[in-house]
Amino acid sequence: MVSITAGQENIAKRSARKPARSHRPYSGYRTALWIYAGAFYTFLYGPLLMIVLLSFNNSEIVGFPFQGFTTRWYDVVFASPALLKALGNSVGVGILAAAIATTLALSLAMGFRHQFRGKSIVLYLILVPIIIPGIIGGIVLLIFFGFSGVRSSLWTTVLVAHVNWVLPFAFLTLFPRLHGFDRALEEAAMDLGARPWEIFTRIVFPIIRPGVIATALFSFSLSFDEFIRTIFVSGFDRTIPVQFWGLIVDELAPELPAMAVLIIVISIFSSLVGFYFMWRASRSAATYARKAS
Amino acid sequence: MTNPVPHIATARSVASAPAQAAGDSAVEIRNVSKWFGDVTALDNVSFEIRRGEFFSLLGPSGCGKTTLLRMIGGFETPNEGQILIDGVDTLGAPPYARSTNMIFQHLALFPHMNVLDNVAFGLKMKRLDDEVIKQKVHQALELVRLDGYGERKIDQLSGGQKQRVAMARALINDPSVLLLDEPLGALDLQLRLQMQDELRRLHKSLGNTFIFVTHDQGEAMAMSDRIAVMDQGHILQIGTPEDIYEAPRTRFVADFVGHTNVFDGHVSRIDDNGECLVACSGLTFRCIAPAGLTLEQPVSVALRFEDVTLGGDPGSADGTGCSATVTEKMYLGGMFRLETRTDEGVALTSDVTNSDAARLFAEGDTVNLTWQPANVSVLLE
Repeated sequence: MVSITAGQENIAKRSARKPARSHRPYSGYRTALWIYAGAFYTFLYGPLLMIVLLSFNNSEIVGFPFQGFTTRWYDVVFASPALLKALGNSVGVGILAAAIATTLALSLAMGFRHQFRGKSIVLYLILVPIIIPGIIGGIVLLIFFGFSGVRSSLWTTVLVAHVNWVLPFAFLTLFPRLHGFDRALEEAAMDLGARPWEIFTRIVFPIIRPGVIATALFSFSLSFDEFIRTIFVSGFDRTIPVQFWGLIVDELAPELPAMAVLIIVISIFSSLVGFYFMWRASRSAATYARKAS
Repeated sequence: MTNPVPHIATARSVASAPAQAAGDSAVEIRNVSKWFGDVTALDNVSFEIRRGEFFSLLGPSGCGKTTLLRMIGGFETPNEGQILIDGVDTLGAPPYARSTNMIFQHLALFPHMNVLDNVAFGLKMKRLDDEVIKQKVHQALELVRLDGYGERKIDQLSGGQKQRVAMARALINDPSVLLLDEPLGALDLQLRLQMQDELRRLHKSLGNTFIFVTHDQGEAMAMSDRIAVMDQGHILQIGTPEDIYEAPRTRFVADFVGHTNVFDGHVSRIDDNGECLVACSGLTFRCIAPAGLTLEQPVSVALRFEDVTLGGDPGSADGTGCSATVTEKMYLGGMFRLETRTDEGVALTSDVTNSDAARLFAEGDTVNLTWQPANVSVLLE
């Protein structure tokens, strides 16, 4: 101990004399790192930025050069009944799919806190839809609905497809919240006279609520952006991505960038709020862990 | 287990009429065994805890003390045997239908509620009138000296204040048995002593039965009316702190409770005056012979560090002293711990008061050590 402290003092003295010397790992590659990071973020956000610019471009053709600033494409978007209908469909299905998936994920996560035979197999089975390619998922659903005689529409096939798609993710976000939940709190509530349902409503749910809200918001984002599965089962109803796809295929409409920006804003907003609640959930978990120790 | 409903009903009636038909035992453990897979946590344990008693379950971690406490609280079910609370079998009754309340090891205060709501929780579950709850919460907070802290959030409280909230939250329900699962374990020494005082004060003023689980023998000594020393799923000895400390019956108890020299030997003489001599590799100990002792019987003897006196005449009677060389001398403040090797070659440790005489000795010196026959315990197992 003593010698280590003395050694540290020596190092401190030396570095006081020569402040410029640094011996952090990789410090010689600093410039290279900056260039790499710059390229990385340009690659990530460049196209996004371009679409935002294009949405304000006063030109009938989607593309550069920039012909002057305008907001008229946004007016076009908000004046188009088909687009507004699709937007309404997407938001509606998104909210409902998020609510259903979150509820299902919550009860699943509650169940997975118990030990039972074959638990890990059942756990992996929930996650399989994530790794099934979207196009396969879409075809499988189409065939399934065809055989069961369900007509394609927004509130039947699309909603089911979205819940099916979103559920594994909802489970993945929610499960850690419940898995790490301090069982002693539930035991304490039970000890004080609470029945199982009261334990859930008064103790478990209030504590994991931020995690539940985050899960619902992520689920909404996923549903809102879902395209491949939806296009197989949407029939005559269109969600925003399906409508968008139609516009690209039929005509390269000049309002496309404005619409894209709108979709991006809604997605980013719901995800950001979701991350905020996620952060709150983990923070309250951290406070609790600190308190317990 | 299979049909808990009638049991719940009986347990509930217990809560309303605790004093009836129960005699003076608050909890009765009858032939209780519990195993988790291949691991036996409790092996055929039977004993009684008297009404109003401060009873400690003392033992090292893994001895089964917490399992036993959790079974009394209804969090675990015994594989065999019965647990009677206030004279009624509790089999199958869930924790919410029992007249017990627990203070958990890490307190398990509800982090999303303030102090008031934490303390009121039990009464709210009983659907008491809001005014009554308010009044009782006020009294409970007063009892644990936390009046004025009701609106505080749990994470705004100090360690000691959290302890008090946990006490108030359990005691407000006036449990017939209060279960305490090492709640003071995480506190620093100063605070722990304070909370020990606090718990004893509460026990005296309230009169409920307290069952306290701890691995700290000093804590158990200081607080309990009676102690059960446990090891490997067995109860080794039950008695008052004095019984346990001064007359340990097994080697484990002697070792676990206080600092003790333990020697294996055999009975070499039994005198008419009720004393006997036990020879242990050359060193002889005079002790009070327990009933039924036979000559040549292999036994162990235990002699506490502080029962060895520095000085005196080891030759005054057989087995009451020896001459030894100091191998190590440790300063402990109020006393010295002397590790010595007797002339017979036996290692013997003594705690001697920090007196002028003790200060003079150094490592390597030869000293006389003596002891009283009454302080030497004969351990039969």
